[in-house]
Amino acid sequence: MAFVIITTIIVIGSVLFNFITPWWFTPLASNWGSLDQTIVITLWVTGVAFVLISGFILYCVVKFRYREGHKAKYEPENPKLELWLTVVTTIGVIVMLAPGLIAWQDYIDLPEDALEVEGVGQQWTWSYRFPGDDGIYGNTNGRLISSKNTFGIDPLDAYGQDDILVRDNKVHLPINTPVVFQLRSKDVLHDFYIPQFRAKMDLVPGQHTNLWFIPTVLGTFEVACAEFCGTGHWAMRGEITVDEMADFQTWLSQHPTFVETMNESSEGRGRQIVQSLGCVACHSDDGTTRIGPTWRGSFGTQRTLVNGETMNIDEAYIKKSIMNPSIQIAAGFASIMPAYNLSEDELDAIVEYMKNLSVE
Amino acid sequence: MEQNAAYEGQQIYHPKGWWGHYVFSQDHKIIALQYTCVALAIGLTGMFLSLMMRMQLGFPGLFDSIDAGSYYQDVTMHGMIMIIYLLTALFLGGFGNYLIPLMLGSRDMAFPYVNMLSFWVYFLSVIILVASFFVPSGPTGAGWTLYPPQSILEGTPGGDGAGILLMLVSLAVFIVAFTMGGLNYITTVLQSRARGMKMMRMPLIIWCIFLATFLGLLAFPALFVGAIMLTFDRVLETSFFMPEIFKGGEVLDYGGGSPVLFQHLFWFFGHPEVYIIALPAFGIISELISCHARKNIFGYNMMVWALIAIAGISFIVWAHHMYVAGMNPYLGFFFATTTLIIAIPTAIKVYNWVLTLWHANIKMTVPMLYCLAFLITFLIGGLTGLFLGNVSVDVPLSDTYFVVGHFHMVMAVSPVLALFGGLYHWFPSVTGRMLDDRLGTIHFWITFIGTYLIYFPMHYIGFLGVPRRYYSNQQYDFIPDSVADLNQFITICALIVGASQFILLYNFVNSAIRGKKAPKNPWGACTLEWQTLESPPGHGNWGDQLPVVYRWPYDYGLPGATADFVPQNVPDEQIT
Amino acid sequence: MDRHKPINSEPGILKLSHAQVFLYLLLAVVTILFLFLTNAYVFRMNFEDWQPLAVPSLLWVNTCSLVVASMGMGWAARAAKANNKNNLKIGLFVGGLFALFFLTGQFLAWQQLIAYGYFLADNPANTFFYLITALHGLHISGGIVAWIVITKKSWKTDDAKSRSAQVSLLATYWHYLLLIWVMMFGLFLST
Repeated sequence: MAFVIITTIIVIGSVLFNFITPWWFTPLASNWGSLDQTIVITLWVTGVAFVLISGFILYCVVKFRYREGHKAKYEPENPKLELWLTVVTTIGVIVMLAPGLIAWQDYIDLPEDALEVEGVGQQWTWSYRFPGDDGIYGNTNGRLISSKNTFGIDPLDAYGQDDILVRDNKVHLPINTPVVFQLRSKDVLHDFYIPQFRAKMDLVPGQHTNLWFIPTVLGTFEVACAEFCGTGHWAMRGEITVDEMADFQTWLSQHPTFVETMNESSEGRGRQIVQSLGCVACHSDDGTTRIGPTWRGSFGTQRTLVNGETMNIDEAYIKKSIMNPSIQIAAGFASIMPAYNLSEDELDAIVEYMKNLSVE
Repeated sequence: MEQNAAYEGQQIYHPKGWWGHYVFSQDHKIIALQYTCVALAIGLTGMFLSLMMRMQLGFPGLFDSIDAGSYYQDVTMHGMIMIIYLLTALFLGGFGNYLIPLMLGSRDMAFPYVNMLSFWVYFLSVIILVASFFVPSGPTGAGWTLYPPQSILEGTPGGDGAGILLMLVSLAVFIVAFTMGGLNYITTVLQSRARGMKMMRMPLIIWCIFLATFLGLLAFPALFVGAIMLTFDRVLETSFFMPEIFKGGEVLDYGGGSPVLFQHLFWFFGHPEVYIIALPAFGIISELISCHARKNIFGYNMMVWALIAIAGISFIVWAHHMYVAGMNPYLGFFFATTTLIIAIPTAIKVYNWVLTLWHANIKMTVPMLYCLAFLITFLIGGLTGLFLGNVSVDVPLSDTYFVVGHFHMVMAVSPVLALFGGLYHWFPSVTGRMLDDRLGTIHFWITFIGTYLIYFPMHYIGFLGVPRRYYSNQQYDFIPDSVADLNQFITICALIVGASQFILLYNFVNSAIRGKKAPKNPWGACTLEWQTLESPPGHGNWGDQLPVVYRWPYDYGLPGATADFVPQNVPDEQIT
Repeated sequence: MDRHKPINSEPGILKLSHAQVFLYLLLAVVTILFLFLTNAYVFRMNFEDWQPLAVPSLLWVNTCSLVVASMGMGWAARAAKANNKNNLKIGLFVGGLFALFFLTGQFLAWQQLIAYGYFLADNPANTFFYLITALHGLHISGGIVAWIVITKKSWKTDDAKSRSAQVSLLATYWHYLLLIWVMMFGLFLST
C-alpha cells in the first residue's frame, strides 16, 4: 500500500543520506574531536532507534490492516513490557549522556598554561587583544571607549600599558598551543564560533566569558557570529590564521601596544575610526560593493538617492550619512545603517580618509 | 422538582439576538470556532512570512525588497505568530474549548462569560500584533526570542521604534487572554465532569490539554515579567537587562543590567511553551490512533503518568537553550541531565502509540495517515533533540541549521500533522459533514513528503556549521555552493507545501457547505463528544439529560461485544 | 449548594465551588508572577553596584490601611455567612474605604520619592520598587473593581446569606493582596 512503500523509501532514504550526504562536519582543526565522537555515538543510537521503531510501525500497518468482521486484540496494558522498554531507553540515554558530560567537563576546564587572547565583539566586527609581556590584561571600562581607545583600556592601569591590540577582524594563533579566549562585547550579544574548531561561546556585554581550544592544523579559518546581533549579524565575519610559533611571533610583533596606540599621530586616524566602529563590515575601501556602497573613489562624485534626488558627495554629505543615514539612502541599497553620534573631530578625520580614497 | 428541570441543574447562558449567538457567544463550541478561524488566519500570514524568508534564502537577489532588515522582520514575526498566536491559541483555545465540555459530559465551560472574554482579548492581542506591520519602523526583527540588548536598540528593525513595543504589549494581552481561558479549562476539568467520568476515565486528549494549561498558567508569568521589564528598559530607559553599551560611537545611558537574566526568564517560559504545543498534539494522536486502529490505547495509566512526568520535568530543563549563553558552566551538567531524562517518558509515549498498532485493525483513513506521519516525524524531531540536549554536543550545533531542523520537525511538522488529523477527525462533529477524502489524501501527501524534504536536510548543513538567522551565506568560504543549491531546493518544496495548504482551505470551506452529510458517529468513536443527541451538538450539548459514564474511553475491540467499539456512556447491560 | 453543579455529575476533585477553584488558581498564577519579580530583584541585588532604596515611612501607614481593609472584607464575609445584613454593609464599607486609602497612599509614596529625587531609571532598586508597587497596585485596582461589583449587589439585598459565597471570595482575594504586599514590603526593607 502507498503509505508503506513511500514511508519505507523515506526511512531507508534518510539512513542512506547519512552516508552519502555532501554536508558533514568541516575538517577538524582543533582538539575537540571528542565532540565529533559524541555526535557519532548519538547518531548511531538515535539512528538504530529510528529504524527499529519506524520499521515496527510499517510492519504493523501491513500486518494489522483493517479486515471487516475482525476485531483488534484487547490489551489495555502490559506493565512488564513497559518496564523493560523504560530500562532499555534509560540505558540508551546514559550511553549518550555520559560521553557528553565528560566532554563538557573538559570544555569548561580552562588549561593553566595557555596562550591568552581576548576577543572583542561589536556590531559588526571583531577585534582582539593580547595581554602582553606581563601576561595580565589591563582593566577595561565601557565608559572609556572612544575612537582613540577602542578597547576602553584604563590608561592608568599599569597592566594595560603593554597589551597588544589587533584592531582588525583577523587574528593569528600558534599551532599546537592551548589558547584561552577571554570574550567580551561592547554592545549586544554576539557569539564567537569557528566551525572547524567546534568551539563557540556567547559574548555578553557587561561580563566576560571564556573559550579554549588547541589549534591543530595550519591554515586560515573563518569566525562566524552565532548569536543574533542585528541587521549585520550575517556579515560579522572574522578570521583566525594558525601559524607556526615563529610566524605567529612575527605577526604579533607587528601590532602596537596600547601605549603606542595612545601616542599615535592622527595620520590615518580616519581609517582607525572606521575600523574601530565596525564600518568596514558593510563598506569596502577597495571598490567592491557590499551591504553598503564602497568608499573608494566616491568623494566628489554624484550619487543618486532612493528618492531620485542626486547629491554631491562632499563633506556635508559624508557627515550626514554618519549622523543620520536613514534620510539619504543611496539608490540600490537598503536603509539598515544605524546612526553614529561622533564628535566633530572624528567626523573630520573620516572625511580626510574619504578624500584620500578618491585621490588616485 | 428541581431534578426534572429542563436543563438538569447546570446554568447555561441563553444567547439573545444575532450578536449574542454568533459574535459574543458564550457557547464553548462557537468560541472554539472563533479561536480556530482567527488562529488559522494569522497562521496563514505566518506561513506567507516564511515563504518570503525562503525566497531570500533560495533565490537571493530575486526580490530587491527583501533586504536584511525586512528579512529579520519576516523571521521574527513568522516565529512568534506560529508559536503563540497559531499553535497555542489553536490547540488550547480551539481544540480545548470544543472538546473539554463535550468529552467530559458537561454543558459548557465553568465560566462561559470569562471564556467569551478570553477570545476577544486574544483577538485584541492579534490586532495589536498586526498593527506592528503598519508603523513606520515596521514590526520587530529581533528574532522571536527578543533578546536584549539588541531587541530594543537601533540596528535591529523595530528596536528603536514602535515595532518591539507593540510586540511586547501584544504578548502581555495574549497572556491575560490565556490566563482567563486556562483557568476556565482547569476548573471545568477538575470540577465539572459527568457522573462516572472519573479523572482516570478521561480521554487522553483532555489530560494533555489539562496539563498543557497548567504549564501555561505557571510559565507565562515569567514571560510577562520579562516583557514588562524589557518594556521599561525600552521606554523608561531602565537597565534591567541593559549593561554598559558602547554603540553608534557613544556610550549609551544604560548600565548594570544582565542580558542573561532575560534569557532565564524567557526560557523558563519558553521551554514549557513547547510542551504546551506538543502535549495537545500528543492528545490528538492518542485519540485518533486508537479510534482509527479500532484498538484501545496501549498503557493508559502509563500514558497519564508519562504526561505528568513530562509536564513536571519541563520546568527544570530550560537552560538547555542557554548552554553557551555565558551562564555558570556547571549548570550545564544539571540541565543536560534533566533534558535527557525527559526523553524517557516521551519515549514511553511513542512506544505506547506504536504498541497500539500491534494486533490492531488499522483503517487507513486520512486521520490515520496523519497519525502515522506524526510518529515518523516526531521520531526525527525528538531524536535530534537528544543531540542538542547533550551539553557538549550542543556546542558545535547550537545556533546552526541543526537547531532549525530540530525545532521545526518537533514543533511545526509533527504537531501540525496532528492538528490536520484532528481537524479532519472532528470536522463531522462540528459541521455535520465529512471532509473530502481525495483532497484530504492529496493534501496529506504533499504536506508530509514536502515538509520532510524541507527539514531533514537542514540537520546536515547544521553539522557543517551553517549558522541560523543568516540573511546570506555568500561571505563564508566554509559554506560550499551546494548549500545554495540545497536552499533553492528547499524553497521550491516550501512553495509547493505552502500552496497545498489552500487545498485544505478549499476542502474546509467547500465541505462545510456541500460536503457529504456525516452519520452521527462516522468514525465509530467511544468518546462522549460523538454521543450527543444531535450531531453537531445543540446548545447545552446533551438535551435534557446529562450522560452517565460507565467505562474508559478506549473500549475498542471489547471482547464479548458484537460491535468493535462500546461508547463511554453505554452500561454493561446494554452492550450488544 | 453550588448552582453550577448539576445533580447528575461527578463530584469535583476539590471540595470547592467552581468560583473558588478559579480564584485559587488565579492566585497561584499571580504568586508565580511576584515570585519571578522577587527572583529578579534578588538576582540584581547581588551585583556590586546595588544601592538600597530608602523606604518612605508612608508605606507603614499604607500597610496599616491594607490590614484594616482586609479585616473589613473578612468581617463582611463572616457577617454574610451569619446573615447579618447590617454588618455586611459596614464590613464592605470599611474594606472599600481603606482599600482606597491604600491605593492613594501608594500614589503619595511615589510622589514623595520623586520629590526627594528618587527617579525611576536612576538605579535598579528604584526601578524595582516602582515596578513591583505598580504591578501590586494594578491587582489592587482589580480588587477594587470586584469590590464595586459585589458591593453594588450586596448593598440593597435583604438576604445577606445569599451574598456569602461572593463576599467570601472577595475577602480571600484581599487577604491575598495583603499577603503579597507584606512579602514585597519585607523584601524592600530587608535590602
